[in-house]
Amino acid sequence: MASAKGAEPTADDRGERGSAPSVLALIRVVLHKQFLLLVRYPLNTASQFATIFAFFLAIFYGGQAVAGASLTDSLDGLIVGFFLWTMSTVAYAGLSWNVTREAQWGTLERLFMSPHGIGRVMGVKTAVNVLLSFLWGGVMLALMMAVTGQVLAVDPLTVVPLLVLTLGSVVGIGFAFAGLALVFKRVENLFQLVQFAFVGLIAAPVGEIPALRLLPMSHGSYLTSQAMAEGIPLWGMPAWELGLLLATSTAYLLAGYACFHLAQRRSRREGLLGQY
Amino acid sequence: MTANPPARAPALRVDGLAKTFGEGGEAVRAVDGVSLSVDHGEVLGVLGPNGAGKTTAIKSMLGLVLPDAGTVEICGVDVHDEPAIAYRHVDAMLEGARNVYWRLTVRENLRYFAGLGGVDPGRLTERHDRLLESLDLADVADTVVNELSRGMKQKVSLATTLARDVDVVFLDEPTLGLDVESSIELRSELRRLADGENVTIVLCSHDMAVIEAVCDRIAILQDGRVIADDSMSELVNVLREKRFSVTTAGPIDDELAVTLRERFDATIREPAAQRGDEQGNERDPGDGSAPERMSGDESATEHEAEGNAVTIDATGIDAEAAAGLLDALRSAGRPLLDVETAEPTLEDVFLRLTETGPGGGSEPTAASVGEQPDDSAAGDTEVIADGER
Repeated sequence: MASAKGAEPTADDRGERGSAPSVLALIRVVLHKQFLLLVRYPLNTASQFATIFAFFLAIFYGGQAVAGASLTDSLDGLIVGFFLWTMSTVAYAGLSWNVTREAQWGTLERLFMSPHGIGRVMGVKTAVNVLLSFLWGGVMLALMMAVTGQVLAVDPLTVVPLLVLTLGSVVGIGFAFAGLALVFKRVENLFQLVQFAFVGLIAAPVGEIPALRLLPMSHGSYLTSQAMAEGIPLWGMPAWELGLLLATSTAYLLAGYACFHLAQRRSRREGLLGQY
Repeated sequence: MTANPPARAPALRVDGLAKTFGEGGEAVRAVDGVSLSVDHGEVLGVLGPNGAGKTTAIKSMLGLVLPDAGTVEICGVDVHDEPAIAYRHVDAMLEGARNVYWRLTVRENLRYFAGLGGVDPGRLTERHDRLLESLDLADVADTVVNELSRGMKQKVSLATTLARDVDVVFLDEPTLGLDVESSIELRSELRRLADGENVTIVLCSHDMAVIEAVCDRIAILQDGRVIADDSMSELVNVLREKRFSVTTAGPIDDELAVTLRERFDATIREPAAQRGDEQGNERDPGDGSAPERMSGDESATEHEAEGNAVTIDATGIDAEAAAGLLDALRSAGRPLLDVETAEPTLEDVFLRLTETGPGGGSEPTAASVGEQPDDSAAGDTEVIADGER
């Protein structure tokens, strides 16, 4: 908390006992920790990245061998879909897996004891994870375009808002499953199933079955595909489509957070918070 | 909302705290009406046998477990109504070596937890330097925690708890896994925090030496209740049992045994090894020698082996009575081999109040149960993000 210029620094400024917590301090340390872990263990980071990319290569070259030229017709969709899957997996894992790990490490209770409140702590961690997902997604997209020779429209003013809205529902799902982990503990297998379910949600045929727009991610995936594969800008999309995406994304985010909130209350009521 | 609570509010006030887990016949009342008040700068030790409800009580005080009843205020702020504001005043070390990030360095951990506590770590560099120095961690400040020994990790955990300036610190088994030297360093650091920085410390430990050395006051919990809450000296006085021990050479005949028991309420014991009897209670004499057999309720004829050393204990007797006991032995022709008096220790008080008897063992803590969080232990297929601690 910055004090007014020339004024005496307050107790909050000095971080004295009982002073209001600085959100900037929280953002700074969460970002820094994430950065440190990325660069300190480059092999680990690279191997995780390589796993995803190898998965894409297998589909791409395998698909070419099986489907031949017809794959080219759906290549745009494949790249956008993989791009979204990479980002959603990173954003989702940053919540669900992370809460499980923090419980294992014994650090989860410390997050709960933050004077920022667990909501703000999880919010900042999530925002940093979404940022990280953009980094991963961006690198993955560049590599996929380089390997396939397919160039997609990447207008940041269009793509970034659509991605943020798409990831909003992913974060909602992440919160819900993080909540499950707080209460039911060992649910890692379920986490993995959800990650694969994302493939189905991303590939849902929203164009043919309009009701699928209400599923998490599906509508965002559909619009992002239109933007990147067909070059339709954000302002060229129907307002109702964008409004619906905003509404469903917000609804999933809020519902997911509500699940997490209820789960953490139950976990604390039953004395399960620090257990794993 | 009271960011700056009234100056006179105690650092910690607990009133009628209660928590039951489960329902019906399987319900377990873990905390049963705990009430406490701890002043600023005071160090409260919390003792209790296994399953006494210490950890649940502490976690309920911190809002990590939601109690069924009762209120907890930290510096005048209700923990359950306004947790985030209460947490401005408190931090806790609950899981020993586990509750830090092993892939960060010691200093990075301090900075992270300072930020998590809402304070820009850049402002706390001096504090962190001093903390690292006092806990003998300065040399490993830039070492990744994973590479440190168990005891060092424990100290890192403690350091992160103190990474920002708070009014109250809860420490659950802070000396678990520490070597003697580190434990002594820790004691002096805790006392310095209380005396020098007016930090209130709630210290839960099985390490009686640490409790005795550091705490101003001790609360003993049993079956979820506070069965004693007083200063160390007052607790020991409750026993009023300065022990007077005389070692003589056997035999002790029936007449003398009756005299000793009736006049001095004495207990007669002899070394177990000399009796060859494996039954009965063992008692550590407290002088480093082998445990001795209690035999105060046995007939004196069992002590008649010629030449056996027999010890007569009398507790709570004054000097005149002690002289009378010595006279009785002399009159019976028993030679005096040794005479000693012993003050009751905190352990004596604890055992007496909780009636757990010797050898109760130490409570397994979360740290000992779930230590070594191996990154590969779970979630190997996790894709990315914050998967590394």
